[in-house]
Amino acid sequence: MEWSIVIDGFFTALEPMNVVWLIFGALLGTIVGILPGLGPATGVAVLIPLTFGMNPVSALILMSAIYYGALFGGSRSSILINTPGDGSSIAATFDGYPMTLKGQAGQAMSIAAMASLFGGIMAIFGFIFLAIPLAQFALNFGPAEYFMLFLFTLSAVVALSTGKMIKGFVAMFVGLAISTVGIDLQSGVHRFTFGVPHFTDGINFIVIIIGIYALGEVLYNMFPKKTDQQPKNQTIGSKWFTKEQWKRSLGPIFRSGPLGFFLGVLPGSGGTISSLLAYSTEKQLSKRKDEFGKGAVEGLVAPESANSSAAVGSLIPMLTMGIPGSGTTAVMLGALVMIGITPGPLLFENSPDLVWTLINSMFIGNLILVIINILMVGLLIKVLRTPANVLYPIVLVLSFIGAYTLGYSTIDFYLLIAAGLLGLLMRVLDYPVAPLILALIIGGEMEQNIRRASIIYESPQAIFFASPIATTLFGLTLLSLCYPLFVKLFKRKTRKGTGASM
Amino acid sequence: MHAVRLSMPLFFIVLSVAYGILILQLPQATLGDAMAPLYFPAAICVGLLLFSIIDLVQVMKKKEKAAPEDLLLLVRRSTLTTIGVIVVLCIIYTLLFEYAGFLLSTVTFLAALLFYLNGKTKWRVNILVTGIVSLSTWYIFSQLLEISLPAFGG
Repeated sequence: MEWSIVIDGFFTALEPMNVVWLIFGALLGTIVGILPGLGPATGVAVLIPLTFGMNPVSALILMSAIYYGALFGGSRSSILINTPGDGSSIAATFDGYPMTLKGQAGQAMSIAAMASLFGGIMAIFGFIFLAIPLAQFALNFGPAEYFMLFLFTLSAVVALSTGKMIKGFVAMFVGLAISTVGIDLQSGVHRFTFGVPHFTDGINFIVIIIGIYALGEVLYNMFPKKTDQQPKNQTIGSKWFTKEQWKRSLGPIFRSGPLGFFLGVLPGSGGTISSLLAYSTEKQLSKRKDEFGKGAVEGLVAPESANSSAAVGSLIPMLTMGIPGSGTTAVMLGALVMIGITPGPLLFENSPDLVWTLINSMFIGNLILVIINILMVGLLIKVLRTPANVLYPIVLVLSFIGAYTLGYSTIDFYLLIAAGLLGLLMRVLDYPVAPLILALIIGGEMEQNIRRASIIYESPQAIFFASPIATTLFGLTLLSLCYPLFVKLFKRKTRKGTGASM
Repeated sequence: MHAVRLSMPLFFIVLSVAYGILILQLPQATLGDAMAPLYFPAAICVGLLLFSIIDLVQVMKKKEKAAPEDLLLLVRRSTLTTIGVIVVLCIIYTLLFEYAGFLLSTVTFLAALLFYLNGKTKWRVNILVTGIVSLSTWYIFSQLLEISLPAFGG
């Protein structure tokens, strides 16, 4: 690795305009994350139009800053009002909110910010050493390997829809079906366009994403219990954590960071699983198990460190292979394509400056976020008091602007509304959204790759054994599909075991 | 309540059947394998139909179980009315946008939505938010970011 490129990236990230975008994105992300109901995926989706017209480096810096800013913000609302901004902040409610009830909200927020900072930094170092080898490895991928990789990603995401795998498959096939709309690139045949010229290039998946996440979220928040959920007045207490708290946090932070990073790299696992796993691991290891759930500082810092590093880790498959591992990275992938950046192994060869500027900006961004989150606690709490009935109409307008700027057609508005209703129903009836979004994004590429591979290998079944990589990925796909079965069997065995011992 | 739970898998079954009919109507390719554009959608169609049927059977089996809290809230008349009004306002906004442009349609949409959600008593907040949000978003997107948003008329 050429360190000069890394250093150049550091200085590019420090250019005044990039720092401005970084601070703006971090602040905006924090605000989006702190508002209950709006997570990083919604934040990035709604704010995509802001990046149009910007140079790719600044656009990427802004989007990433919004992403990890929203992750930071998500845990603020978990700590203060027991309402996670998104899935990855759920674990922060377990001990963060009890700390607030004990009058330690300020300490909880500052130590959570430090945990996120260290988690993020550990993951950035992981990124530096892992991303390039992975990108180089990805250069060996042909159509068969790519198809198998897409298949594995989808199966992993469906398998992780715990307890609702069948619904996960349904959602995945709906996403794939939407991806087939438009002109077939290899034959020129118009598929499912109904004579509408706007559909010739296919349905813009960002419109669907904005609809499902933003509009769906707004409609969901119109439920009676949601609008009644007003933040309570909280006393912040001391804004800085104690020496004793820091001492107790060090171990969990440094254990959970690497754990979160590796889970982040795997498709489908993302922030939620890594933070929950970090929490349960720390609980298992702790000598103060009984304090967990009552305001144990370890129970707060472990998930915070893990989800922050998972966020960085999840960027690796997205940037090196164009595989989004989570809903948020799927939105980011779409946004990157919109601004003219094609993620994949060649990105590291063709635009190393862009990649390393992004990595360095994440390092600087994490520091900025700590400053924002510790110094501006009072202001951020005021954001929490924004009435839902004022906030959500604004989100609706931003969603419409977002959809309009993607194709300058009001046809997208109808798609947006339909996707919003679909998102609402899927949420209420317990259908996972991530498989639909991922399938929608990679569906087109998946089809092109399997068709190219079938021409090369002359039969579709030969694709599965085209190379050791393809066969391994096929094996991993089968394993991931059997994973819920293994978990069930393991649970049954453990239950039997404990039953016997009792 | 059970009907609402059944509606989703049923909707997906109908969707897969409709998708299948559309696949059969697709023209054949004039280059290479004539059926090539059909294979991938056909596989998706079979998968969607199969898993939707399994889903339907699973939902039917769980008949006795209590409905989730969110579903109970959704089927309340007040929730359905609120969501219905918002969706109708979104459709009106779409129709208006094409003819009246961004500013006029957004002002109308936001004002209608805010007055519906907050009532007349908060008229000051409603008007202030409508004005500030409409003008500032138009200024940021149209003027600063140079993204074409027709101010008046499409």
